[in-house]
Amino acid sequence: MACAHCGDACPDQPIRLSARPELPFCCQGCKAVYELLDQSNLCTYYRLDDKPGQKIPEVELPGRFDYLNSESVQSQLLAFRSEALNQLTFSIPQMHCASCIWLLENLFKLNPGITSSRVNFLRKELTVSYNPAATTLTEVAKLLASVGYEPQITLAELGAQPHRANRTLYYQLGLAAFAFGNVMLMAFPDYFSFTEQLQASFGQFFGWLSLGLSLPVLLVSARGFYRSAWQGLRHRYINLDFPISLGLTALFLTSLYDIATQHGPGYLDSFTGLVFFMLIGKWVQQRTYDALRFDRDFTSYFPVAVTRLTAGGREESVAVRELRAGQRIRVRHQEIIPADAVLLRGQGQIDYSFVTGESVPVARTSGEVVYAGGRQTGEALELEVVREVSQGYLTQLWNNPAFQKEEKATLETYANKVGRYFVAVTLVLALGAVAYWQWQGRPDMALRAFTSVLVIACPCALSLATPFALGAALRALGRCKLFLKNSGVVETLGRADTIVFDKTGTLTDVKRSAVEYAGPTLTLAQQQAIAAVIQHSTHPLSQRLAAELPASHLPVQEFREVAGQGLCGTVAGEEVRVGSAAFVGVGNPAPEAGTPATAESAATTDGLQSRVYVSVEGVQGCYLLRNVYREELRSILAELSRHYHLAVLSGDNDTEQDRLRELFGPQAELHFRQSPQQKLDYVAHLRQQGRTVIMVGDGLNDAGALQQADAGVALTDTLTNFSPACDAILDARSFGQLSTFLRFSQDCLQVVLGTFVLSFCYNGIGLGLAVQGKFTPIVSAILMPISSLSVMVFATLLVHYAAHRRQL
Amino acid sequence: MEIIFVLISISLCVAMLFLLAFVWAVRSHQYDDTYTPAVRVLFDDQEENAQPRGQR
Repeated sequence: MACAHCGDACPDQPIRLSARPELPFCCQGCKAVYELLDQSNLCTYYRLDDKPGQKIPEVELPGRFDYLNSESVQSQLLAFRSEALNQLTFSIPQMHCASCIWLLENLFKLNPGITSSRVNFLRKELTVSYNPAATTLTEVAKLLASVGYEPQITLAELGAQPHRANRTLYYQLGLAAFAFGNVMLMAFPDYFSFTEQLQASFGQFFGWLSLGLSLPVLLVSARGFYRSAWQGLRHRYINLDFPISLGLTALFLTSLYDIATQHGPGYLDSFTGLVFFMLIGKWVQQRTYDALRFDRDFTSYFPVAVTRLTAGGREESVAVRELRAGQRIRVRHQEIIPADAVLLRGQGQIDYSFVTGESVPVARTSGEVVYAGGRQTGEALELEVVREVSQGYLTQLWNNPAFQKEEKATLETYANKVGRYFVAVTLVLALGAVAYWQWQGRPDMALRAFTSVLVIACPCALSLATPFALGAALRALGRCKLFLKNSGVVETLGRADTIVFDKTGTLTDVKRSAVEYAGPTLTLAQQQAIAAVIQHSTHPLSQRLAAELPASHLPVQEFREVAGQGLCGTVAGEEVRVGSAAFVGVGNPAPEAGTPATAESAATTDGLQSRVYVSVEGVQGCYLLRNVYREELRSILAELSRHYHLAVLSGDNDTEQDRLRELFGPQAELHFRQSPQQKLDYVAHLRQQGRTVIMVGDGLNDAGALQQADAGVALTDTLTNFSPACDAILDARSFGQLSTFLRFSQDCLQVVLGTFVLSFCYNGIGLGLAVQGKFTPIVSAILMPISSLSVMVFATLLVHYAAHRRQL
Repeated sequence: MEIIFVLISISLCVAMLFLLAFVWAVRSHQYDDTYTPAVRVLFDDQEENAQPRGQR
């Protein structure tokens, strides 16, 4: 049975509303949202789309949004502030359907203080206006979180300027289209012989009018190409925009000369047409990137504000950036430790899965150092900051010079490489033509040939091939849940020869770990009693176990979680204990008198397997949780090992070596006990050997390696919660298609090369005419648009065909 | 044939009007989000209709 709110599978006895018993719910959170929406008459939400809701985490974190009251945070977040109205834009990655849009735009019905809210679905943004006298920012954020659309507020976003839609391109495109259409009309008399009369009497007028229409195109629409070419030159780098600028300039100046000296009508129709087509290419590129925007950095992980303790012991909320060494902070259950610090008070149970990939929390006692990036589970801690956020361990890793590769990677694309040779060849040809005609004693032809060569050599079709081919590729891959940062990544994926895997969380499937039970058989009632207790814990082992046991909603009294030890609680008068061997008292033959039902559990981690001891009603047993490799792993590896050099980097010990060796084959390199830095170094070493490396990892602990690799692919179970600085994000469910993705990328490169060949053919024909001085305006007007259009169509169709053939 | 001058100036003026209309559309945010409004327009006001008329 599917939950009426989120569509997840319901437990055997679903939670039901007394008013609407026909609707099943999977958890209290989902039911609460339904009730809230029902009260405010907002149930249209459920009618617009089938089961549109987000699962609500059961754990409520009090004071989670308190930092939004802080003045420094508000001043950075709010785009507009006044007495009666505040406005800001939230990023809400969860929104996915029409129901989401509808609910988010009807927020004012839930909180009257909100005056309006508007969604930009493509950017996953919500712009909220509220009356600060009637409600607060914290209230708004809480409301969003309570209906399942928790806004993503991160340090990275705090520093960033509010997003401004890029309208310049639309103006440029509109202007170019306007000029293109009209200039083409003016050029018509020139195309046909029967209009010679017309051309003779109006040619001059048409010429100057076209010039007037083209001037804004040169000054406004084509500005982007000139700017980019100039920036490239300043960095002593010739990009594709340089020959384009050269060609456009030649085209315009020749036309100007022709018109001024009454030689002919000039090439202005080609000029405006080219600018128009190339801007369309740019627009396609921009739209593709807008839809797949995930360019965030490590600061996205850190909390925006922390609870600082003043000298008097008072709590205050401050921005993380204001945190200084020596200050005391309080970190509560489920909060991330923002900076390297010394533990002063409290039992630390720190989940470093974010840093090391290991999901079992590490126990820390007072006096010990805890590192930034860990998440506290359990009681609140008091910490003294030893290093500021910007100097912490994680930050140092992220600041490694390896992370500055981006600039280079995007510039070194095929098109730009080709562009460089283009300039050289063009100049040689142009000068050759000049020399030939001079030698022939025809200086007028020399000038004509020179400018024609520059014009025809303008690699406009080349500049269109990449955005259209790779844009189509990005969309095809995006449909299969592989999101690439930019089109350059497709090229890298296609060229790669080495794939490095991280182990935990990448090769193994944390969610699917096998659960085995050892000990006397438990009755259903006993299992339900255990389930009732562990539902109260957020410990990953508890959650995994809870998924395995029958669901139960028995009330639990006297629930207690002893950090690092286990849980205990009383269910229906019987005490249940879950946790470590010592906590549960395994080996103790007789349960203590007076506690007839004692369930103890001990979580012991041994390589890939964890033990949880339980005791209920005097019965003691042990659950064995074993991480298993992803289902598709074997077939994937068999396919990949034929074409690629494979390697595994693991932070764990080498107990799994034999299994991995068997999976990966004799050639693969297996490395164990690797620190994040070692992983990074290993990838750097491979690259020095001239290999093109794809790193497949899962998170921050291999973030350095992900970034160091030519293409870092982050594998994730929850796309919305994940935002590392990698080059691509792959949904774990699509892991099985990895080799298909790689082959598709290779296909796409072939398509790009194919379009290059096509556009070279056009250029070859054009150049042949140009050096002979036969490149007339009419030839230009036919050849140029045909070459641009056919390259666009060819690239898009072939990529779609390749995707279809690979069944993507 | 001098009528051509008049005709062309008229046609250019009309074309210019369309260009201005386009610029106005971009300026008034119509190109900022090309997806959501298409969905938004399909929502109807069922909830308000369900209420007694006197309240509206």
